Amino acid sequence: MADKRKYVIPGDVITSGPFRPEQNVVLEGNNIVATAVGISEIYEDSVKVIPLTGKYIPKINDLVIGKVISHTSLSWELDVNSCYVGFLPAQDVFGRDFSTHADELSSKLKTGDLVAARIANFDRTRDPLVTISDRDLGKIDDGVLVKISPSKVPRLIGKKGSMIQMIEMATNAAVTIGQNGWVVISCETEEGLSKAKRAVEMVNEKAHIANLTDLIKDMLDGKDES
Amino acid sequence: MTSTSVIDELKRAQILELLEQGKRVDGRALDESRELKIETNAIPKANGSARIYLGDTEVICGVKIQPDRPFPDTGDKGLFMCTAELLPLSHPTVETGPPQPPVIELARVTDRGIRESHMIDVSQLVIEKDKSVVGVFADNVVVDYDGNLFDACSYAATAALLNSKTPTWEMVDEKPTLVEGEEKQLPINTIPVSVTMAKIGNYIVVDPNGDEWDVMDSRVTITTDSDGNICALQKGGSDGFTQDEINQCGDLSIKVGAKIREQLKSVQQETQ
Repeated sequence: MADKRKYVIPGDVITSGPFRPEQNVVLEGNNIVATAVGISEIYEDSVKVIPLTGKYIPKINDLVIGKVISHTSLSWELDVNSCYVGFLPAQDVFGRDFSTHADELSSKLKTGDLVAARIANFDRTRDPLVTISDRDLGKIDDGVLVKISPSKVPRLIGKKGSMIQMIEMATNAAVTIGQNGWVVISCETEEGLSKAKRAVEMVNEKAHIANLTDLIKDMLDGKDES
Repeated sequence: MTSTSVIDELKRAQILELLEQGKRVDGRALDESRELKIETNAIPKANGSARIYLGDTEVICGVKIQPDRPFPDTGDKGLFMCTAELLPLSHPTVETGPPQPPVIELARVTDRGIRESHMIDVSQLVIEKDKSVVGVFADNVVVDYDGNLFDACSYAATAALLNSKTPTWEMVDEKPTLVEGEEKQLPINTIPVSVTMAKIGNYIVVDPNGDEWDVMDSRVTITTDSDGNICALQKGGSDGFTQDEINQCGDLSIKVGAKIREQLKSVQQETQ
């Protein structure tokens, strides 16, 4: 468990000593200095800052929701709420025998389509490579896209998925959470949809509150009665 | 905007589906504009200024009034000019650099609506005929974008002009010289109100928000003056309007415009 949590702004010295600098911190001499606004966490051998806000930084194996913004004859470009664009090669969809002459990319995915994708490879030097060839991945046909801050995704999922399970149970909605902060909610009923949407937005706004689970539970139950 | 924003297909489907039921994504009626909030004197050092919020769209307008040379063919009239630009802060797709065609259109439509309504009586802005006149410059800057900049910029400029106080100049040694301590309101004839309507499918919606703006097939901006006369019109988008639809838009612009004019009038009364 991390101790010594505190709010930091860029330039704040978090600690000094033999720690490994991780996300959003730099080593300056012997001091570990924050580079983002957020909460600092000191682990046994490492220090990191969890940002309060910011764009999504891709990580290999993350499930993300992407929006097709354009395509070339070889690949699609996905908006993944990041400073990088997701690169989805045509082979991923058409298979190995993809041919630029025979296959038209827009027949499978067109501009504006939403896809559930996984980050296949990313090393910060090139745009992240994404894949949709797996179970549960691919084009999303129904639902509503809700955008939240990527740093609040862990809060929305909760410990072992407790938060999201609670929301899904109470509203009968299916919620697909992308690690990039984009969430697709689909539900049979209009009422469940709007309630699930409100719950997700509430997590985004109140992520810093301690007993958030109870708050959300009250909101979900309270609306049941009315 | 430089690169166009891409709206996701789910949102598009949702907007179209709701319109079938006579509803809109933000719960408004089809002929209802968003809440307009006007703050005057947003820039204390300007001759006049306003910051307006149209839903989540936010625009600041500043008015500068200074002596200028008249155009050679209109020596008996003052100058009026209105511009508009977007801050890169306002939307992810906005880039710095020379304005792109949509932004040029925005500035021109805003300018034309106010100019052609003859809101400001420019014939009263002459210091000496053919030599020196008063120039009124209204500059809009978009701080936050959520669709319908045409109306937002028009309201901001109108509010800023209504809020303006002009200094007085007189000719001394062939040069316009400031007369200290004499400030008065601009000569205002009428209050123009621009109303933008978008056509999505077969539906006409007033004051489209950002999402509706991305989905719409075509749009028309109609400016009316205080007497309910149409004084400017701009159509955009690839789709067309039928004659009935245009008539409907004309009626809407007068109806919706009347409400907004009341708000702008209160700005004028405050300044007096």
